[in-house]
Amino acid sequence: MQTKRQKNIYGFFRIFAVLFCVCTCMLLSSCQKKLAENKVFGVDDLSGSVIGVQLGTTGDILVSDYEEDGSDTTIERFNKGNDAIQALKQGKIDAVIIDAQPANAFIQANPELMILEEEFVKEDYAISIAKGNTELTASINKALSSLKADGTIDSIINNYIGENAGKSPYTSPSGVNRSNGNLIMATNAYFKPYEYYENGKIVGIDVDIATAIADYLGMNLKIEDMEFDSIITAVSSGKADIGVAGMTVTADRLKNIDFSDPYTTSSQVIVVRNNEAVQSGSNFVEKFTNDFITDNRYQYILTGLKNTLIIAFFAAIMGIVIGFLVAVIRSSHDKTGNMKILNAICSVYLTIIRGTPAMVQLLIIYYIIFGSMNVNKILVAVLSFGINSGAYVAEIFRSGIMSIDNGQFEAARSLGLTYNQTMISVILPQAFKNVLPALANEFIVLLKETSISGYIGLTDLTRGGDIIRSITYDAMLPLIGVALIYLILVMILSTLVKKLERRLRSNERN
Amino acid sequence: MSETNNMSDILLEVKGLRKVYDKHVVLDNINTTVHKGEVIAIIGPSGCGKSTFLRSLNMLEIPTAGQVLFHGTDITDKSVNINEIREKIGMVFQHFNLFPNMTIRDNICLAPVKLKLMSREDAVKKADELLARVGLKDKADTYPAMLSGGQKQRVAIARAMAMNPEIMLFDEPTSALDPEMVGEVLTIIKELADSGMTMLIVTHEMGFAKEVASRCMFFSDGMITEENEPKAFFENPQSPRLKEFLSKVL
Repeated sequence: MQTKRQKNIYGFFRIFAVLFCVCTCMLLSSCQKKLAENKVFGVDDLSGSVIGVQLGTTGDILVSDYEEDGSDTTIERFNKGNDAIQALKQGKIDAVIIDAQPANAFIQANPELMILEEEFVKEDYAISIAKGNTELTASINKALSSLKADGTIDSIINNYIGENAGKSPYTSPSGVNRSNGNLIMATNAYFKPYEYYENGKIVGIDVDIATAIADYLGMNLKIEDMEFDSIITAVSSGKADIGVAGMTVTADRLKNIDFSDPYTTSSQVIVVRNNEAVQSGSNFVEKFTNDFITDNRYQYILTGLKNTLIIAFFAAIMGIVIGFLVAVIRSSHDKTGNMKILNAICSVYLTIIRGTPAMVQLLIIYYIIFGSMNVNKILVAVLSFGINSGAYVAEIFRSGIMSIDNGQFEAARSLGLTYNQTMISVILPQAFKNVLPALANEFIVLLKETSISGYIGLTDLTRGGDIIRSITYDAMLPLIGVALIYLILVMILSTLVKKLERRLRSNERN
Repeated sequence: MSETNNMSDILLEVKGLRKVYDKHVVLDNINTTVHKGEVIAIIGPSGCGKSTFLRSLNMLEIPTAGQVLFHGTDITDKSVNINEIREKIGMVFQHFNLFPNMTIRDNICLAPVKLKLMSREDAVKKADELLARVGLKDKADTYPAMLSGGQKQRVAIARAMAMNPEIMLFDEPTSALDPEMVGEVLTIIKELADSGMTMLIVTHEMGFAKEVASRCMFFSDGMITEENEPKAFFENPQSPRLKEFLSKVL
């Protein structure tokens, strides 16, 4: 047994280890790194190099041709534009092909990058609408032509791009009658200046144009943030009415979706490292302030933390309930041979859930099972993680039940207790005590696994850090911050479980 | 439970009992009758089916064939509520099987309270009485892990007694005990026998069997090979198997 003194030393050592990590990260974050040399100076240099794009964008579709031309070109597809930009800065890729306006926003924040003068391609942006929804397409085209005619669209674009930025913000006309219901807009808010986060809200050209359209149509605009490659799925499955995310009309996309008339033109440009730029490193305090304090950006972390805790907590409860029922059914079947059908259902459940990744399950539940329903994302995450965790908890409980000596069972039955009474009063309390460490481990895994919630556009803790990353272009502090919070949560959880374990064991020790 | 009109003192009747595991015959055509107040010692070499026989009497082992009649009711019949029958048949196990997550008192009160045979207060009163009877009054609030083997077995006997059983089955109650603790458990069982309790005891304690039993049964190869009152059983064995067995153990 540990003595109190040894325990204190361990406790101290753990806290010291955490502090050591934090200090190392602070040092790393403030030291300067030399930029890798740029080798791409025009469209012709692209073949044979490593090109970054945002998954599912026009840039992705267009450069994919390079992949098959035998020139050894590698395409790296990122979920967000700014992940590609960060990879470019770190020298992991040679160039990023992305829309012109977001590119401008990126190089303003990253002076060590530049845009090549030669444009990659020019393209029109349009609004995507589910195939066959001709009524909505017609109304949106009508709204667009009216908004173009009265200069609203130009004024919105000028408010974000050019010398007069910020001077002509769009405001809804007063007294709009919103009796025509909700207009749900799917977007990917990492595409400045079209859509991005500012002060906790999604803003940008596309958002203002969609607002103006909703005003014109007498509807109430609702914005759903998701991965770019999920937007078309969301619109065609009916989860969203329109997709507005700087989308270009392409032949492939037209197979799955309809487009409105274009509302603006943009070009795909090539972003590369600027060999002449001097890298300016900012110190830790500046970075910290910029990442967390400016514009109350810590709020993204707090919102995410709240959602992560809600999801993990309710999913754990659901997991216990499902796991408990499945374990009781399975072990009863093993002991008595009854409940054949229920046992078969449970076996199928365990096989499927344990045989597929949690992330795929989450996506299936969100996009297929609740496909056309507008359902709360936190609820979806709780369901998904609860169902997932239930399978693991079931096997943990079952091993716990099986670990109890059969003599316990026989003693209780010989006294006249029924099978159920024996399970509830004698077997399960002992089984629970035995499986507590394994159960705690499962909940630690569950807590960390909720970090994939971002894939359905839910702001969990990880996604909260990602949003900050997309605003400040600093990878280090938001990621380390998020990691630290997870670490602290897990440490608290294990401490609580250890206390509970000690209390439950106290009566069995001499 | 159905009472038969036959008011004789037959408590338990075993007819043609047979138990087969895979192809291995453990019990083969066992027939016997247990009268109220009898104390039966079941003796025999290991693996001869003694424990299986005992466990068949309260359906912890389901017989392959044959009948077990308790007050004339065939308890091997699936339509019989076996839980109600078991309330009347107490059992004490070789390894005590106390519930480690409950206090000694709760071990004893659990079944009477759960089965709504007694109120919690009455059950506690009864538990304390029984604990006093087995000499463990001061242990009521401790947990099984804090008791010695002999003490545990005494608690197990009290736990079975709390149900006011009509018959008690002892499955090698002293085999898992250190030698110096055997005596205290046998004393309790003997007191129980003296109080008129009907009992079947699987045991290797020959001296105890001779002293306490009203009848001894010798099991070998899944059959009752010899059956007699203790004096004749030990001093004048008939079958060669029993003679050989006694010559080894006495």
